[in-house]
Amino acid sequence: MRLRLPKSPWAIAACIVLASFVLAVPAGSIYYVAAGGRACARCHEIRGAYHDWTASSHKDVSCSKCHGGLFTPDLSFHLHNLRMVVKHFRGEAPEAIQLRAETIPAMMARCAGCHKEEHDAWRQGPHSVTYKKLFLNEDHNKSRALSDNCLRCHGMYFNGPIRDLVEPLDMTGPWRLKEDALLDQPAIPCLACHQMHRDAGEIAERAKQENPREKTVASTSIYDRRSRLHYHALDLPIPAMKDNGAAVKMASEKNQAVCYQCHSPEPAFAVNSGDDRTCVGVHEGIACNKCHVAHSMETKTTCKDCHPRDSNCGLDVETMDTTFRSPDSAHNIHFVKCADCHKNGVPEKKVKVEM
Amino acid sequence: MSKPRRLGRRTFLQIAATVSAGGSILACKEPVTVWKFFTPEEIATLDAVCERIIPADDYPGASWAGVVNYIDRKVTYVFQDKQSQYRKGLAGVNDTSQALFEADFTALSAEQQDSVLETLSSGKAPGEAWKTQSPSSFFNLVISHAMQGFYGDPRHGGNKDFISWRMLGIPHPPVRARRPAAPVA
Amino acid sequence: MALPHVNAVVIGSGAGGGVAAKELAEAGLSVVLLERGRWQTAFDYRKDDLQNQRTTQLGPAFGPHDLKKNPRVRVDDNGNARVVYANGWDYQNNAMCVGGGTLSYGAMAWRFMEQDFRMRSTYGDVENSTLADWPISYDDLEPFYEKAEWEIGVSGDDSGNPFKAPRKKALPMPALPHSRECEILKPAALRLGLHPFDIPMLRNTVPFNERPACMRCRWCVGFACECNAKCGTQNTVIPKALATGNCELRTECLAKEVVIDDRGRAKAVAYFDENDRLQEQPCDLVVVSCSAIESARLLLNSKSKLFPEGLGNRSDWVGRNLQGHSYCGAMGLFDEDVYDDLGPGAQIAICDYNHGNPGMKTGAMLANEFIRLPIQFAESNYVGVKRWGIDHKNYMRTMFRRTIRVMGPVQEIPVFDARVSVDPAVKDFWGIPVARLSGSKHPHCVEVSYYIAERAEAWLKEAGAIQTWRQPSGMGLSGGQHQAGTCRMGDDPATSVVNRNGQIHDCDNVFVADGSLHVTNGGFNPVLTILANAYRISDYITREWKGSKFR
Repeated sequence: MRLRLPKSPWAIAACIVLASFVLAVPAGSIYYVAAGGRACARCHEIRGAYHDWTASSHKDVSCSKCHGGLFTPDLSFHLHNLRMVVKHFRGEAPEAIQLRAETIPAMMARCAGCHKEEHDAWRQGPHSVTYKKLFLNEDHNKSRALSDNCLRCHGMYFNGPIRDLVEPLDMTGPWRLKEDALLDQPAIPCLACHQMHRDAGEIAERAKQENPREKTVASTSIYDRRSRLHYHALDLPIPAMKDNGAAVKMASEKNQAVCYQCHSPEPAFAVNSGDDRTCVGVHEGIACNKCHVAHSMETKTTCKDCHPRDSNCGLDVETMDTTFRSPDSAHNIHFVKCADCHKNGVPEKKVKVEM
Repeated sequence: MSKPRRLGRRTFLQIAATVSAGGSILACKEPVTVWKFFTPEEIATLDAVCERIIPADDYPGASWAGVVNYIDRKVTYVFQDKQSQYRKGLAGVNDTSQALFEADFTALSAEQQDSVLETLSSGKAPGEAWKTQSPSSFFNLVISHAMQGFYGDPRHGGNKDFISWRMLGIPHPPVRARRPAAPVA
Repeated sequence: MALPHVNAVVIGSGAGGGVAAKELAEAGLSVVLLERGRWQTAFDYRKDDLQNQRTTQLGPAFGPHDLKKNPRVRVDDNGNARVVYANGWDYQNNAMCVGGGTLSYGAMAWRFMEQDFRMRSTYGDVENSTLADWPISYDDLEPFYEKAEWEIGVSGDDSGNPFKAPRKKALPMPALPHSRECEILKPAALRLGLHPFDIPMLRNTVPFNERPACMRCRWCVGFACECNAKCGTQNTVIPKALATGNCELRTECLAKEVVIDDRGRAKAVAYFDENDRLQEQPCDLVVVSCSAIESARLLLNSKSKLFPEGLGNRSDWVGRNLQGHSYCGAMGLFDEDVYDDLGPGAQIAICDYNHGNPGMKTGAMLANEFIRLPIQFAESNYVGVKRWGIDHKNYMRTMFRRTIRVMGPVQEIPVFDARVSVDPAVKDFWGIPVARLSGSKHPHCVEVSYYIAERAEAWLKEAGAIQTWRQPSGMGLSGGQHQAGTCRMGDDPATSVVNRNGQIHDCDNVFVADGSLHVTNGGFNPVLTILANAYRISDYITREWKGSKFR
């Protein structure tokens, strides 16, 4: 069939407008995509982000792979880019560039594109909890009041105060989320504990000192909602924990500093206070990630790493007391002590530990 | 996911503006400077001044912490009214430096730089710029901005990796339980 | 279009207005609560060391946000007037947002002492001052102190304070566990024969009133609380007022004047709404609670045929006796670290020097300071070291973690010429004449501040300080977050603005309910007294108000 060109000048004009319109929508995206990553840095607004990216382990991944590009099938994405470019030329650029909360799900899908295994593991673990499960939990909301502080560790990318997320803000309910779109979104996304654009300069130096074999700088860091910045695990504090006033031997593993940001003790740093899970007793000095596998937080297989080889008494630790997983057990794995069973003194080792 | 938006008049105008700006995108090849307000020469002078205000020793100083980054950002936004003071004042720093040591500020030794700053601080400094602006009030302005950039929150572009808080041994972000503190007996 | 008539318009939603709105709404009156600021949360300026209500390098976080739209004029001792903005000390800013100062305050919750209500009887005449007794006594206020402590929520333990006025009911919440400063200062005070105790604070230390407990972060005084543990009117009485269905909160609405009818009674409040349009809200009665500076400004700007010099200003007392506190104290350097990064910081106090200081006619409570921010410490320069260079850096490294500051608010001797007036020339963005601040402190307050600073120094030395620095008060006008005194309460219309019920002498349907009422301001942070007075005045209104007039 032959394409019939419109004859009326009005129809031609309409077609031209339509065509230029269709072409113009992704103009903002074209701007960012053109000539690879470096073009992004042409606007000084994102120079810093660009610089940090070139120093990160993702430096071979293009901007568009994570942030979307010309062919991203989302009109609002292109219009947003367009608006940013317009703002740039009008001199209305924001003082600092921030990741928008709305882009988190798309961003996560792109993480999963390469890191499928990690993503699947995370999906099965407790850290993939959704907004719905966290903020509409009746048992929780009836016993503990919601506050802006909740968002420090859950929904840290939510761009607003708690009153814009949940209503009503009381302890009687019934509660609902103000944005339905958030219901099934993960409240602790990849970017809660991983930083993509990281300045590798000084951190890299220190990472090398920590572990000379490390080739790239680990992305492990905490997203601090207050300053909207990531802080690298190497910079984060590991609290000097106390068990009944006595100093606890702390593992030297730096990555656990990220865990402590949310699994934190109360201000006196007493073991097992607040959300703390520091090990004392037989497991004192063992870092979180020695037992909890990254992403899934699973511990099923890790006992075997040490037991029965490292057992003091040579008994099968998994059958000694099967309540060790329960947070209510007196023999919980985080704080079980030899003296819990050996009330009349701990006997000499029966089996020599062979390393 | 982002909500799809209706294409309004405002958006259409923005699109039109961008299409017409298309030409200038291509013209925008390499950025003239990474700084929003200062010239690279001004940044070098300002950085050197700030580094004398909070010098590096066994711990990093203003330069490492990115204090100029803070000042450049804030002078572009919240402290816009300070732009001309900076423009004139930084020229004045070099005027005084030339008058005293016949070299620009950045070329001086640390001791010479300190004596230039002492001269500014005294309120009477040689230099064309100081005929219309007090050298001591300019220096006080830089001191207070340097303090803000060094000790303020990193979100504003200074205090990189909260270096000053680390220097003071302040854990950041502080480790605090979400759970309410237990009742006190 | 005229707005529908309501029973009461409450202007300002801080400590006074928040309480009044709730009490009137619960009694069945229809209430419009006007607030010039926004309803802010901890999400605004999230714990920013450079932008909060105490360190305002980038502006005050909790209002006013637009500095240029809200100027004031400050007249110095030589009579030179200059325009000042809210990021500067001279502006004497409190806060402008829902909850007012109570959203971001440090939250000390003091009951004034019995002598604080009769300063004139206790100390006699003081030259060049307007020192007077309150028209009410501590006993009149006691039930309302108690109500404030339980409805807003106070923690602490003042059982160790023998100087306190008698209380009928203990505080609802216990004190926080002691910080390192407290552990050092408490035994030292006891060794000196002083009487240390845990400061009462409007802060949850256990879950209370459906809000969680304090997590002890360092972003406390000057910040909105992220855990919602700090108790202000914005998270207690204002939500209750709104829940009655009788109260409408209108934010970003700036009152222009109280409109007076031909018979000399208030008939409406004129205000600029959130779109800067002038509105007039008709009403039966008005409660003015904008803090001492802005309440005085509003009354002075409410000029009418019968009150050509401003509402309640027949005797020229509106805006007079502006007072805050003459802050003073000392800093001590210790051998080892004393900083433990635990908020709120201020925790231990003594009331041994509030009264009975030899040869002195006033005094102050002494307490350890709120937790410090590095930028605050860097800019404060307490010891006179060079402000830049390696000296400065060493100062920070030696002093930041190893110093304790003990400070006290010296109760001021009121001065007639320390005042708020309205500027004849400078107007704000809306065209309303701005507050003009002039005058200075009574010199005796400065004398007392030297004495109190010495006492603070002695306490630090006993605690083991190896070096100390006294910090007495200067002569400059005070106000700020403790501003008070500008609409004095009294029985004699010739020497006061409102009567003992907060009612303007000449105009029985306009009340004042904030720190403006205070005849004297106590040697304490004044907020609990403001809250208690607001309860007391509201109690009077709801008892005496019959339909459209008073019994």
